[in-house]
Amino acid sequence: MHNLGTVIRFEITRALKKKSFWIMALGFPIMLAAIFGIVFLSNKTTDQAVKDLEKQKFSLQVTDESTLVNPALLTAVKATTITNKQQGIDNVKNGTVDGYIYYPADLTKQPIEVYGKDVGMFDNGRYEGVARALLLNSVQSTVSPQVSSVIQGNTPTNLTTYRGSEVYDPLKQMIIPGIFLVLFYMLIAFFGNQMLVSTTEEKENRVIEMILTTIEARTLIIGKIISLISLAFLQGLVIIVPALVGYLLFHEQLSLPSFDLTSLPVDWGRIGVGALIFATSFILFTGLLVLIGSSVPTAKEAGGFIGIIMMLIFGPLYAAPLFISQPDSPFVHFLSLFPFTAPIPLLLRNAVGNLQSWEIMLAIPIILVSAVIVLNLAVRVFRFGALEYSRKLSLKEIFGK
Amino acid sequence: MTNIISIKNFRMQFGKATVIKDLSFDVKRGETFGFLGSNGSGKTTTIRALLGIYQPTSGDLLIDGKPYTVSGDIKLGYLPEERGLYKKESVLDIMTYFGQLKGMSRADARKASLAYLRRVKLEDKATTRLDKLSGGQQQKIQLGITIMDDPELLILDEPTKGFDPVNRKLLMDIIEEHQAKGATVVMVTHQMEEVERLCDRIILLKDGKAHAYGTIAEVKKKFGNKSLDDIFLKVYGDENATEEED
Repeated sequence: MHNLGTVIRFEITRALKKKSFWIMALGFPIMLAAIFGIVFLSNKTTDQAVKDLEKQKFSLQVTDESTLVNPALLTAVKATTITNKQQGIDNVKNGTVDGYIYYPADLTKQPIEVYGKDVGMFDNGRYEGVARALLLNSVQSTVSPQVSSVIQGNTPTNLTTYRGSEVYDPLKQMIIPGIFLVLFYMLIAFFGNQMLVSTTEEKENRVIEMILTTIEARTLIIGKIISLISLAFLQGLVIIVPALVGYLLFHEQLSLPSFDLTSLPVDWGRIGVGALIFATSFILFTGLLVLIGSSVPTAKEAGGFIGIIMMLIFGPLYAAPLFISQPDSPFVHFLSLFPFTAPIPLLLRNAVGNLQSWEIMLAIPIILVSAVIVLNLAVRVFRFGALEYSRKLSLKEIFGK
Repeated sequence: MTNIISIKNFRMQFGKATVIKDLSFDVKRGETFGFLGSNGSGKTTTIRALLGIYQPTSGDLLIDGKPYTVSGDIKLGYLPEERGLYKKESVLDIMTYFGQLKGMSRADARKASLAYLRRVKLEDKATTRLDKLSGGQQQKIQLGITIMDDPELLILDEPTKGFDPVNRKLLMDIIEEHQAKGATVVMVTHQMEEVERLCDRIILLKDGKAHAYGTIAEVKKKFGNKSLDDIFLKVYGDENATEEED
């Protein structure tokens, strides 16, 4: 493995220099930040809405046949009451007032009708916001805060479950081992295509002969795989770290469920198994993608295979309920032990906690041996298919060389 | 002089097509050897098999007494017929990378790269991406990579292909410099003036076999002291030249 470090450094450095890498690396966290930002901005509390009501600059007329709206609140927002619905609508039409709200007698059968002067797509929502806030605050003022909280479904609950005499929370138990499943999914989804085309570059650039007479094909392939894995982890960090920091700092503002991360159960056995399944599966699929890339002449042709590989890897997700409800069925065992479908079932079942010891003992070596075979095949195909600049190798050629 | 390259009973078959039938020849250490033949005669195939890129159907192809491996002791510089490098990287980065792969330290590789770029008047292109250079400039970069670690065996497959006369002369000068340093040079070429100027011995390949083999004087004598151009025309004139892979 002479020169392995040189290959890894070269591959990582040039990947980091590419704009496309950073667009991909930062695109997801930026998208997440944008989504959370929108959620944050739209997450105004009722209290805030009431305060906003008082600051409303538009004139408002209200007809309240439900008699639920508190007149004091109407006074606070400088709304006037009228009894004729059509008059209210006409007043909006002729510009006498900006908005008109009609509360029908039976709110369970008829909707609140809101009319307003058009102030743009986004600002038009203020009329409905005021209509709801007036009603909600009026009703809340008639009951105690506890009753209000119960009606709104805000009553907190605290569930404690036991396995034997030990406290056991299945959801919390699966969080840390489940990270490997999420990580595997994201890395393959983000980097699958890059892995697939990583060896076509040498062919497309016609640099293959100089490479093969300067460096062992195995060293180049292993170097590329290590650099891809390193970049994938870097990508993972770029996604996870901002998400974690964002959660810790802003989960209250974003109305995200509050987890005490320090209270998460740490089952080192399952974490270890998850890490092993993740690592071997990742090597297996990286090798498979590199193998396919080595057997076709161009990145364009390689790209056609990405769908097939994704289907192979993530197809078992459709059977996810089975992995949880019927872990002993032959179908689940098959998917868990066949190397090319195994990662998702194994990682999911390990997270859930229904993976049996014998399956672990069998599955990990199967994936590892498959990974070694696929990697060797990838090297052979790269070596002997290297000068096939214009056609892809047949299966007979791949296995017969 | 000892042999640095020794090829014996080399046979190469692709499917049902036999490209090389039975080829044997040696290249002596320190000489410049011309490998001649028409398009499709098997020159490049022989070079690729010698360098382990192709697996020969049969025969022995040895460099320094053993099949070539990249981890071997010999310092080899190979300029393939198919030209190409990493197009999106800067000239200096590519040259440094290959220098390191050839066993040079990063600092030495950069130093040698910059010296070569000065020599071929491309020093201002050091940080330019390769695909921003002209075809001829890219070829010069590839030649620079081939010779940057002062190889003891230089194998150049049609080295002047695509060069203008000025750059062709520059290339000839560079080859002569390496000859003077004691390097063995194997040249695949169709340019007879290059052969006359540089080569000690030559081989003419035809129908997968050696048609003529020896010093230039010996080969000329065999063909009635005609010029190499005339000999080439006589040997290959009746063939329909193709653009297929050698």
